[in-house]
Amino acid sequence: MDPTMGNPMVPMTAQIPGPVAQPIPLPVLTRDSYNSQSLGRSLNANVKQARVLMVGAGGIGCELLKNLVLTGFGEVHVVDLDTIDLSNLNRQFLFRHEHIKKSKALVAKEAAQKFNPAVKIVAHHANIKDAQFNIEWFSSFRIVFNALDNLEARRHVNKMCLAADVPLIESGTTGFNGQVQVIKKGVTACYDCAPKETPKSFPVCTIRSTPSQPIHCIVWGKSYLLNEIFGASEDESAFDHTVDGDNAQEIEELKRESAALRKIRNSVGTEEFAQMLFEKVFKTDIERLRSMEDMWKTRKPPEPLNYKELLEKAKSLDKEKVLKDAQKVWSLEENLVVFNDSLERLSKRVLESKSAGEESIITFDKDDEDTLDFVAASANIRSAVFGIDRKSKFDIKQMAGNIIPAIATTNAIVAGLCVLEAFKVLKGHYEQAKEVFLTPFANARMLASDKSREPNPDCPVCGVYQTRAYVDLEKATLNDLVEHLIKTNLGYGEKDFAISNEVGILYDPDETDNLEKKLSELGIKSDSFLTITDEDDEEPFVNVVIAIQEAKEPLGDKPVKGILDPEDVKIPLKPKKQPQPEPVATPTAATNGASTSNGQNGGVINLDGDEPMTTPAKTLKRGHPEDAEGPSVKKIKANDKAADDDIVFIEDSAGAIVIDDD
Amino acid sequence: MTEIVMDQTPPILQGPSDKERKYDRQLRLWAASGQAALESANILLVNSGAGTVGVETLKNLILPGIGRFVIHDNALVDEADLGVNFFLDDSCYGKPRAQCLASLLGELNPEVDGDWSPKTKNDTLGSLLKKSPLFTAIMYTYPINHVELESLEQYSKEHKTPLIAIHSTGFYSYFTIRLPGTFPIVDTHPDETATTDLRLLSPWPELVEFAKTMTKDIDSLDNFEHGHLPYVVILLHYLDKWKATHNGTYPSTYKEKTEFRQLVRDAARTDNPEGGEENFDEAAAAVLKTVAPFSLPSGLKEVFEYEHKGPIQERSTFWIIADAVKAFYTNHGSLPLPGNVPDMKAQSKVYVQLQNIYKAKARKDAAEVLQTAQAIAGTGRKVDPAEVDLFCKNAAFVKLINVEGGGDTAPLGSKERLQQVLRQEMANDQVAEMTLQPMSLFPTYLALRGLAHCGNASSDKTQIVEAVKSLLSDNLSSEEYGDLNEKLGNVAEDLARAEYGELHNISALTGGMVAQEMIKIITKQYIPIDNTCVFDGIRSRTQVFHV
Repeated sequence: MDPTMGNPMVPMTAQIPGPVAQPIPLPVLTRDSYNSQSLGRSLNANVKQARVLMVGAGGIGCELLKNLVLTGFGEVHVVDLDTIDLSNLNRQFLFRHEHIKKSKALVAKEAAQKFNPAVKIVAHHANIKDAQFNIEWFSSFRIVFNALDNLEARRHVNKMCLAADVPLIESGTTGFNGQVQVIKKGVTACYDCAPKETPKSFPVCTIRSTPSQPIHCIVWGKSYLLNEIFGASEDESAFDHTVDGDNAQEIEELKRESAALRKIRNSVGTEEFAQMLFEKVFKTDIERLRSMEDMWKTRKPPEPLNYKELLEKAKSLDKEKVLKDAQKVWSLEENLVVFNDSLERLSKRVLESKSAGEESIITFDKDDEDTLDFVAASANIRSAVFGIDRKSKFDIKQMAGNIIPAIATTNAIVAGLCVLEAFKVLKGHYEQAKEVFLTPFANARMLASDKSREPNPDCPVCGVYQTRAYVDLEKATLNDLVEHLIKTNLGYGEKDFAISNEVGILYDPDETDNLEKKLSELGIKSDSFLTITDEDDEEPFVNVVIAIQEAKEPLGDKPVKGILDPEDVKIPLKPKKQPQPEPVATPTAATNGASTSNGQNGGVINLDGDEPMTTPAKTLKRGHPEDAEGPSVKKIKANDKAADDDIVFIEDSAGAIVIDDD
Repeated sequence: MTEIVMDQTPPILQGPSDKERKYDRQLRLWAASGQAALESANILLVNSGAGTVGVETLKNLILPGIGRFVIHDNALVDEADLGVNFFLDDSCYGKPRAQCLASLLGELNPEVDGDWSPKTKNDTLGSLLKKSPLFTAIMYTYPINHVELESLEQYSKEHKTPLIAIHSTGFYSYFTIRLPGTFPIVDTHPDETATTDLRLLSPWPELVEFAKTMTKDIDSLDNFEHGHLPYVVILLHYLDKWKATHNGTYPSTYKEKTEFRQLVRDAARTDNPEGGEENFDEAAAAVLKTVAPFSLPSGLKEVFEYEHKGPIQERSTFWIIADAVKAFYTNHGSLPLPGNVPDMKAQSKVYVQLQNIYKAKARKDAAEVLQTAQAIAGTGRKVDPAEVDLFCKNAAFVKLINVEGGGDTAPLGSKERLQQVLRQEMANDQVAEMTLQPMSLFPTYLALRGLAHCGNASSDKTQIVEAVKSLLSDNLSSEEYGDLNEKLGNVAEDLARAEYGELHNISALTGGMVAQEMIKIITKQYIPIDNTCVFDGIRSRTQVFHV
């Protein structure tokens, strides 16, 4: 323990056990007594002064906020975009039934504040990726805690903390599993040092033409049918129609099919709508598919359905009774009942918002019963068409919503571990920082802790040289950046190099068209990141990442200014490629391996979830998405609005759909 | 391709769908049966000391929806409580702590009933225990007084109630679960891939027949049919072929198995457009795992060999079914078939047939076990077929916790037991120094026990160490226990400084761990800690001891 912890002891009045509570002599204890006694004065003072950021106010977040408040952290900022849902209440204890649909950040602040009035809590109901949360803002915190539920936001905070050089405590849980790690630039591995398991992906044709598993039909119902009928119309852009020799014709057909479906959309709310839609997707489209004989040589061809016949058979069913039984696997007729009913409910919503003069866009939400019923029924009917097993609504909810089990206990353990790591960070004892895993299936212990991993020199995120540049965004061109910063200030001189951002390459020796363009024309703004890749074969610099900062004061004659003098810029060289025998398991995987011997799953944490932690993939074989050399994974997004969308496409696998968590 | 259609989770939650939605994320872990068990649980917390760890534990039980809780706490709320306990606010100052906690905790989940004690001068823990509906489990926090502890132990013995002790001071904590006798768990939730039992080396006639029919003219099958033979059928076919050329024996050594695997691989057709066959790939991949003779799993062995103290009438149906499964094993040399078939490349129709063959056999086996169990139970008792089904399905993974007696180990909770474990841990530590393994947390546990034994918040380091010694025995030989004194002293110093104070964060974390184990015990699902878990917050480490 901290040797500085000695402090004058404040005697505590012993509890006098007795039948009735005795009034204890005037309290000599203060709120702070226990903390001061055990943490020691110096650490306790450190805690009180610390201004920290907590990203996410969900399962881990609620627990963590309580712990931070009662540990006496001076100022806690909470950022969360989400609103409260009924299914949160089994663990997110700062929320009550009456808070449903309210901002998590704001309610959490309100609930926690009253328990320690001395702590300042600032709540932001906002997306952590918003421009207001810039590097400068990040750098104003002593520690950042990630209590997030998705890979993208985790990566963003990781990057921002590295750029701002603020220590980050990263955590996640999935069911009984959980994990905590300390990320400090240059000292410990960052979030992206180990490649993450890529989510399951399905080729477009599997989803649209040749499903063979229940999940294919569920994805179809959720990402295609629901979207085409009720979703945002520009969703067409979300489908990657990458064409190769084999599927060109089919992709063309599918495009036509979608266009026809969108026409039906105009009939929403009419009496014939259900039949029109049913006959389009479960009859006409299926008949077309069936006619493509080549496709069914080695597969069982799909069977088109007759709406009227089926409706006749379903007539006697009690709708309420069917709907109530979410755990039963519905028959085809029962599915039709749910299909029609959910369609009616959704249509009604569309008409209502139309009559209110609003645009009506309904997107899938696993906790929105109407959308879930529609997806469950459509998926099951499609399964019947293709001779695939149907699933219960309960199971479909899990598969469509990527539901990961989440419970109070695991969150409590993980949040507690986060604060313990925070103590070490406050003391600057990074050598003691641990990567801790919950090992629920290893009965000899409940936790496994490991020394923090060292940064991976090849990491595309932290294995780079980071710097900032002040830029007059009104004036500066890409050429200004090249001439006044990269070649001179950063010392690239006559080296060949490329400049890229998250969209792609902006400049390289063969691609000079952009040089005369203003940075603003290239979409570069304050807090944009640019990566400089040294293209020299011998002794190349590591990649340099420049965080663009808008100049607050005039820069003088040049519109670009680095933060260091040229002689202080010391860009390391790329590590020499070691001959690599076989891709080695990452240290994390090794840790997990150690516990697997003790029971199933060990400390392995699955992808996604409530506060899901993404497992580093087993090997480094797979290229990193942000690694220029790896397969490029790109969000095909027309605009930023779609950032919450849940479909991602991987370019290198000819039109694959990736289901991300929400 | 098709999915397994076995009924995995027993009864369906019939409640209003709102409740199902609220508990959705946990139902996926312990299903409706686990939730029902939680909802009928009645939990008592006897709170004392700084009072946070018990409350944090209770919070984690109220959120997932136990039926009822009672807090017994003699203290009045003071200023320090407000600093460490989240469920007390300024308005609570000076009021009975139990009352304030019950009210604020109750707000967490309106579906949970809460009560508190003592309400009057005459209320004692003893009177509470007498008048309350039966408690499902009781937890208490240190420093509990002797009188109260004795009444809890008495109650636990009388009503076979699990008793959980929790102690959190400064950076350290531990909890101990005292279960009433041997505690069997059937629904241990083994890894799904581990539960596959295809019986390839002991196929029953219907399966043999099915495989034979499908592979009768294996070479003349067209590419579609050949490429859609389920891997189970492929393996059965080639195992037969292997036997014919190996004196009627199956591949048993690793070398033989890899040879067999090659045989399967070579049998795949490569002259088709795909240049290979997925089903044969699946078959080859399954060889090492599925071509293995049956051996009795250690957990079940322990069940079969368990020596009962009481007469059969006093045993739970678990033991009756266990006897029936044992009889089945004695007769057939195998366990009842679980009956699930993993997903595999096959024509849907064929796959469903295959599933039905496995399911029919599983049903037949379970029926036999049920019949035997019913005979053992006698006419006065009814054995639940659902319980038999669950047992048969999980037979290979059944586990006993808190096994009493056996071997030369001292009884749990005894002084001798402490000494045994201590000797073992100190011996491990001597090796640990060389192998760079972390040091045992047993001294931490002992020091916490010592602190509780002192029962006085102002105990100093020496007093704590002396208390530990009296817990262990009067004379500790330095030879046997090495540098225990020094190790104890280090922890004791930290503890003395903490003065029975709790760090909220350590107590919150401990409360998470304790509640997790209690949920396992209440739902009788997953395998709980057996029986003591120590947490060291400075090193972020835990260790489990059987004391």
